Amino acid sequence: MSWLEVFAQVEIHRRTDTCVNQNGFCPDWIVNNFSDRYVDPLFRHLELVLVSVAAGFVIAFALGIVAHRRRWLVGPIVGVTGVLYTIPSVAAFLLLIPITGFGLITAVIALTAYTLLIIFRNVVDGLNATPDEARDAARGMGLTDNQVLWRVEVPLALPEIFAGLRIATTTTVGLAALAFFAGAGGLGGLIFGDLVFKSNVVVAGGLCILMAFALDGLLLIAQRLLTPWVRARQA
Amino acid sequence: MSFEVPAGDICVLVGPSGCGKTTAMRMVNRMVSITAGDILLDGRSVMDRKPHELRREIGYAIQQIGLFPHETVADNIATVPKLLGWPKERIRARVAELLDTASLPQELAGRYPAQLSGGQRQRVGVARAVAADPSIMLMDEPFGAIDPITRDRVQNEFLRLQGQLRKTVVFVTHDIDEAIKMGDRIAVLKQGGVLAQYATPAELLLSPADDFVEDFVGADRALKRLALLRVRDVDLWKAPRVRPGDATAQARAQIAESDLPYPLLIDSDGKPLGWLSERDLAAERVPERADTAATPVLDQDSVLRSALAELLEEDTQYGPVVDARGSVIGVLSVELISQFLASKDTREMDAVERAGVEA
Repeated sequence: MSWLEVFAQVEIHRRTDTCVNQNGFCPDWIVNNFSDRYVDPLFRHLELVLVSVAAGFVIAFALGIVAHRRRWLVGPIVGVTGVLYTIPSVAAFLLLIPITGFGLITAVIALTAYTLLIIFRNVVDGLNATPDEARDAARGMGLTDNQVLWRVEVPLALPEIFAGLRIATTTTVGLAALAFFAGAGGLGGLIFGDLVFKSNVVVAGGLCILMAFALDGLLLIAQRLLTPWVRARQA
Repeated sequence: MSFEVPAGDICVLVGPSGCGKTTAMRMVNRMVSITAGDILLDGRSVMDRKPHELRREIGYAIQQIGLFPHETVADNIATVPKLLGWPKERIRARVAELLDTASLPQELAGRYPAQLSGGQRQRVGVARAVAADPSIMLMDEPFGAIDPITRDRVQNEFLRLQGQLRKTVVFVTHDIDEAIKMGDRIAVLKQGGVLAQYATPAELLLSPADDFVEDFVGADRALKRLALLRVRDVDLWKAPRVRPGDATAQARAQIAESDLPYPLLIDSDGKPLGWLSERDLAAERVPERADTAATPVLDQDSVLRSALAELLEEDTQYGPVVDARGSVIGVLSVELISQFLASKDTREMDAVERAGVEA
């Protein structure tokens, strides 16, 4: 949807509705326009977040496993992902557009890059959090290095890994609001399409916030299901 | 350092911190790599084996226990059986059996380590170490982290189990009392991993190899010897035993021949009822009840140290000793114990040798 179209639609409503004409918060208008205007961008936004966080998790987790075995890699990886993290997102989109073009791919690459630092650090910290005696007992009972990793260290790292995923996800929901600069759509296009119209900003912005809460809640539920021992401690 | 551990024995490695006792133990399952020398299990070098395969055949219990916090008690215990690919049904049965053996209630199976008491965790750790029924066990201060009272109980439980299972155990501790209590053989190590003495607990207490061992065993080693001997190993005093209704004249005659000034009243089964006083003997027949209770009644299978403690606690000089059925077989006195402590003759040494293995 181009800026002009948005503008035209707003104009039409302004002629017929005083609330809309005054750029107010208009529940009737929201109900009438919600499914046409907001549902598709909402799903696009969700797609951006899920694909980016999933890709970021796969890459950061793999890097975390490698760096866990070769400690000297932690510094360089934190350095590189840290630099990626500090690049302003709009600048990243603009830098990538000449290479990857205008669209979803560009946005996903940038958003993925932003998740790497957070997830990587939490994976490495989590894997280190295994108590020494549990690791010693595991080896002493005849677990191979791979078995120690997958049966002891990774499960015990789950709380840390989930903590990282939750921060990364919430952050990405926010950052994905800028993805329309890369031509990837999402709720950001709507927000910036009409910053003056309160109804529009409240709905588009509100959907971002709700999505962040919902995804965070889902991750929290998944974490509780996957790490029953953490809660057992208090029982 | 070179020594042999007979199959089915508990060999204790003991010494001051930094003497290398833990390192020596960890070489057995190659948790510490062997750079020179060798360790043979059943005549086969541990160097010929893949470390993880070797380790699955050797039970491993450490002071910090190292239970997996994210696994239930049942899953923790099942660690090695799972690695060995046992069928699920067999694993479940084995876990249930081990919980019983370790005197842990079955409902603990689904709990996580954080929900257990220290003593329970310790037992789960030992249960996990023996889960795949290894013939060899390595134990590094396995009872070090529990309070002294619980430790004493867990030690006794372990010895009782060991009596049935007859594992070959390499047991590391810095506590000489624990070494004497648990060990069939004790290796005393000095700084730098030098073997100062390898002997049975009795030998160690009676003839320390050098000043280091003597010092390490402690100035109270005479007292420690009391933990090696059982009451039945002592030449007990003969008690003047009388039954209710016996003639008092006969009782008086028995006193004259015995080591004790008072006769012991016993029932028809030979169980002690009490000590008879002068007043009790005033009548013609021995009465039904005695003036003084016969406490403490000592078990012939107790070690001398606990028998002495019982006597001191009751503030008395002697107490009747009973056999497994509860019948009086003699009397143990503080005097007998002090004679034992003072004696140095070879007869006593032999008795200690014999008893030491069981103690």
